[in-house]
Amino acid sequence: MNPDASGLTRPDASGPVRDALEPTRGEPVVVRAVLDGDTLVVGPDEAGGRIEWRGPGHAILAQAPTDGGSMDWVRTRLALGPARRRAGSGVIEREVLIDGWLVEVELEIERRAALRARARRAAVDARNPDATQPGRRRPANLAADLRADLPGRIAGISVAPGDAVTAGQPLLVIEAMKMLNEVRAPRDGVVEQVAVVAGQGVELGDLLVRLR
Amino acid sequence: MTDRARPFKRVLVANRGEIAVRIIRACREMGIESVAVYSDVDRFAAHVRAADLALRIGPAPAAQSYLSIDALLAAARATHAEAIHPGYGFLAERAAFAAAVEDAGLAFVGPGSQAIAAVGDKLAARRLAISVGVPVLPGTLEPVDGSDPAQLAAIVVAAEGIGYPLLVKAAAGGGGRGMRTVDRAEDLPESVRAASGEALAAFGDGAVYLERQVQPARHIEVQLLGDATGRVIALGERDCSIQRRHQKLVEEAPAPGLTDAQRREVHDRAIRIAVAAGLRNAATAEFLFDTESRFWFLEVNARLQVEHGITELISGVDIVHEQLSLAAGRPLSAEARAAGERAGEPAGHAIEVRISLEDPARGFLPLAGRIGRFTMPAGPGVRVDTAIEAGERVPSDYDPLVAKLMVHGSDRAVAIERLARALDETEIGGVQTTLPFHRFVAVSPDFAAGRLSTGFVEDHWAGPAARQAAVGRALLAAGLASFHGSPEPAASTAPARAPGSGPSDATGWLAAARAEGVSRWPRGSGR
Repeated sequence: MNPDASGLTRPDASGPVRDALEPTRGEPVVVRAVLDGDTLVVGPDEAGGRIEWRGPGHAILAQAPTDGGSMDWVRTRLALGPARRRAGSGVIEREVLIDGWLVEVELEIERRAALRARARRAAVDARNPDATQPGRRRPANLAADLRADLPGRIAGISVAPGDAVTAGQPLLVIEAMKMLNEVRAPRDGVVEQVAVVAGQGVELGDLLVRLR
Repeated sequence: MTDRARPFKRVLVANRGEIAVRIIRACREMGIESVAVYSDVDRFAAHVRAADLALRIGPAPAAQSYLSIDALLAAARATHAEAIHPGYGFLAERAAFAAAVEDAGLAFVGPGSQAIAAVGDKLAARRLAISVGVPVLPGTLEPVDGSDPAQLAAIVVAAEGIGYPLLVKAAAGGGGRGMRTVDRAEDLPESVRAASGEALAAFGDGAVYLERQVQPARHIEVQLLGDATGRVIALGERDCSIQRRHQKLVEEAPAPGLTDAQRREVHDRAIRIAVAAGLRNAATAEFLFDTESRFWFLEVNARLQVEHGITELISGVDIVHEQLSLAAGRPLSAEARAAGERAGEPAGHAIEVRISLEDPARGFLPLAGRIGRFTMPAGPGVRVDTAIEAGERVPSDYDPLVAKLMVHGSDRAVAIERLARALDETEIGGVQTTLPFHRFVAVSPDFAAGRLSTGFVEDHWAGPAARQAAVGRALLAAGLASFHGSPEPAASTAPARAPGSGPSDATGWLAAARAEGVSRWPRGSGR
């Protein structure tokens, strides 16, 4: 893996790319929790917080007091896994352990994420002119990638690439702990990719279906 | 004095995971050779590495490996083991297994097949308790088959006399399976049918019975040891109220808030039942303790309990050593007898949390997968029983328990502070664990005040909200970290470089600190 191969690297980057999105200095990033879907845009000079490294993979998150009365910053110990670059994209993935919780996050330069979102909308609008009608535009924040939110085995798949699906339509079934769990389309769309096959085991967070 | 000669030359451990490692450790301490058995997915598991000998017994599914009596006995014969320790779970409480071990001329390290049969059927245990004057919860005393309409009609009538809400329980049950809560008479027939079907599938026996549900209540159990002379001692009690799905999450010893009289009362009741059952070796009697300070007998677990370690911490008795010695026909050790004398006035306090692969934000959903980083706590008063290492895969075929964290202190407050400290040191990556819940318990004012109840999780734990707050901090931290990279050089991308030594001082903090230091220190101060 050549970490410098991604679009994140500025041509004039002087040092090797490490855990940090070093070339992003000066540009806000959008951070997304993979399982939870929550997102946050963080700038380099976030007034409310700072990171204090305590060794490889260990740090303290210090947050400014919000109650006004206290002078002490709130300090939380956390562990960060190595930053992994998702192949062929400008997205960095890493694991954050905080208060015992495991949070898988994705990071991307905000400007780049916005460009990608606009390009995706434009492509959909071009294919489906109805979608540009007022009231028909779907929310942009619904993920196009459906990921496994529990580990198990694919018990059945009811869609194939190219199928048009409507919100709520069952796409596939994951069997976990002897229970069948349906995975449904979060919105209308077209199946771009089915990333699993029937009978295959899946782990938490594995890509199942990509919609467009 | 304790007999220091080893009780057996070689013992087969018919289990896996942390309990197998725990037993193998005891064997090694006593000079006994240990034999591990493993399924295909466990070929390189910790218990296999720990043992002197290791033998494959079958494929991953427990029914074909750890639950196969034939395979285990064949392994014992092949390795010339003199005794079999079943651990907990799997075959530990199957009277048929204990009998097969005894018939093969081997020692079974646990209560014998007769004692297991006497208390393994929960209805038989209820009748036994009544026969020695120990109160049991109002309920039925004869088994009911949920698939028989006549029996179903009779149990609906019986339920009127017990009152609602009540529990439908499997006579052969355990671990919360085959158990249903019923609030209204009209739901009873369906619940009995469902529980009966579940019990038949899980235990091969569809017999169920009814028991009044007492809530709020605490779950208190007594650790028992018995020898071949018929002597039974209580090593003290444990409070195991904090549960989900009728499975324990947090246990402590002694049970907080009991008077000495209450403590002696429950020990005495447990001993009476154990003597009546002819108990040898180690077992646990479980009771409910209601808001009017009444103890109600629930059941006897005729085996080593998951949470035996906290009793070891406060009693000073190694229960597995004692089990092995008792299985060889020796009497209770002098140490154990002395600890039994002291059990009424316990000194010190111990707490255990069971760290499992479960998502406490989603109803403690069981998980499986590969563990990433794995850092266990250490230091004064901390004991960790685990069989996991960083990078190891936890198969979904078995229990999702990854570690038992135990702490010990001079009193309960010290133990709770120690628990919070130990949990701060604990890091498990790769798969979500129950750690956030344990951290919550360690700082909960209700827990500190001893306000324990089997409804503790439902009453106090707001998992999704707790996760959401942590996710918000995780996003901020990850975002900030992206601007100020970790001080380590990534392994494959760059040669080691001291922080702040060049343009890749990504943290910026060191340089900033230096600049600040320079501007603050008066130049030429002579220092």
